[in-house]
Amino acid sequence: MAVSTLYTTQALNSACSISTPAKTHVGFHQKQVVFYRRSSKRVGGGGSGVITCSAGDSQTVVIGLAADSGCGKSTFMRRLTSVFGGAAEPPKGGNPDSNTLISDTTTVICLDDYHSLDRTGRKEKGVTALDPRANDFDLMYEQVKALKSGIAVDKPIYNHVTGLLDPPELIKPPKILVIEGLHPMFDDRVRDLLDFSIYLDISNEVKFAWKIQRDMAERGHSLESIKASIEARKPDFDAYIDPQKQYADAVIEVLPTQLIPDDNEGKVLRVRLIMKEGVENFSPVYLFDEGSTISWIPCGRKLTCSYPGIKFHYGPDTYFGNEVSILEMDGQFDRLDELIYVESHLSNISTKFYGEVTQQMLKHADFPGSNNGTGLFQTIVGLKIRDLYEQITSSKAAAPLEATKA
Amino acid sequence: MATLRLHSLTGAREEIPTPSFVSNPRMLSPSFHCNKKRVSRRMTVNAMGGGAKYKGTLMREKQLTEMIEKKVTEAKQVCEGDETSDECKVAWDEVEEVSQAKADLRLRLEVEKKDPLESFCQENPETEECKVYEDW
Repeated sequence: MAVSTLYTTQALNSACSISTPAKTHVGFHQKQVVFYRRSSKRVGGGGSGVITCSAGDSQTVVIGLAADSGCGKSTFMRRLTSVFGGAAEPPKGGNPDSNTLISDTTTVICLDDYHSLDRTGRKEKGVTALDPRANDFDLMYEQVKALKSGIAVDKPIYNHVTGLLDPPELIKPPKILVIEGLHPMFDDRVRDLLDFSIYLDISNEVKFAWKIQRDMAERGHSLESIKASIEARKPDFDAYIDPQKQYADAVIEVLPTQLIPDDNEGKVLRVRLIMKEGVENFSPVYLFDEGSTISWIPCGRKLTCSYPGIKFHYGPDTYFGNEVSILEMDGQFDRLDELIYVESHLSNISTKFYGEVTQQMLKHADFPGSNNGTGLFQTIVGLKIRDLYEQITSSKAAAPLEATKA
Repeated sequence: MATLRLHSLTGAREEIPTPSFVSNPRMLSPSFHCNKKRVSRRMTVNAMGGGAKYKGTLMREKQLTEMIEKKVTEAKQVCEGDETSDECKVAWDEVEEVSQAKADLRLRLEVEKKDPLESFCQENPETEECKVYEDW
């Protein structure tokens, strides 16, 4: 039976694995005819005009991000998708309360969608969303596995407004799949599917400061209620979420600054990028001399910084029994030249051109963390993931990324 | 800092800078919603994106604001007996969930300047949810 369906793809680099929307699972190779018009804007270097579709032979790279800050809309996600090009948007025309974000190369799935219990169900059973009993890890594993192998899935939607599980949405396998949420590394089967994993570790003091900023203007909230909410969730958080950090390839730890004594505003931050050694396709970022221990204050004769300045530290360490390298930044960037100065002294940042980190940071200067280590390290991790993706796909001899660059 | 765009029926647009709230751009005091509301039904979608809010989004905002208040009160009541009980944990977890949902919505509207119903309303402009409201 010949089925011809016409799809329009926005850009040449949208996911080529086109699957029939009628049925979710495409287990066999289908012949696809792709009509395209080469964009005249693109100045490609010797573009041969070949499109290689990877239906069935998919190289979907799967990234896990553990974060307690809601889904898909987090700053990290937006920086990450921006590194790959394009902005990630919710799926057009679908459920407006969908948590999914889709860009040309990346699809971000919120793991809350795998809640087995909705808000009422959790209340009845007396479990928080942090509890593994509230989540369907079997389904999570099946669907991530399917997407990784190039098969589209009908993924449930957890509606954060109503607290209900809405009818599923179709997710097509992307080039890069990011699974974000509370438990990306909790289940070992899911963990094994991850090509790279990140854990965002916010210290209690910083969490408190951020939640105050988030909630204080809301009617109903007070300092006490914000504190009580954090305290009440802490036991489950410590039991189920926190232990995942030992499995992460990179941990971004956010702590209060050490540059200002007794600072409790949480505005100046000390951020540590803890990178596991020996991870395939990932070479840790370093300062000056890999494997040595460095303390670096860039401010001085060549660079003037305003209070409280910037302090870097780099060195090898162990973390939960793993060999790691830690790059740490304490303080804030005030000016563009501070940022570019710092960038020029970092090594292994996987940029494609000098100043790419700075450019990415500037692009999102309004995002929180744009003037400190959170923005810097999130951007760098984004570049490392791009590098990882390119290494994985080139090693599988797929279509070169050049042909699909935005 | 939030900026309002006025859409008059003639289509002329002016920007009125609103008082800026110093800290996190996500924070917006509820007193910001003024008493006067002007409803105008527009058939054309604002090509610039952002600014104009759909009724559905406003209703969600309102719903979330009320839920936060309600759930904080509930949590305080439930936890009075035993702070370490499961019910208490769940109650505060719900507060966290709705607080985050509200914050996400605020972020979308203020920082990204995109109404989450944008693409839905382009397809279904006649639905109740897609009426355009203008806040001053």
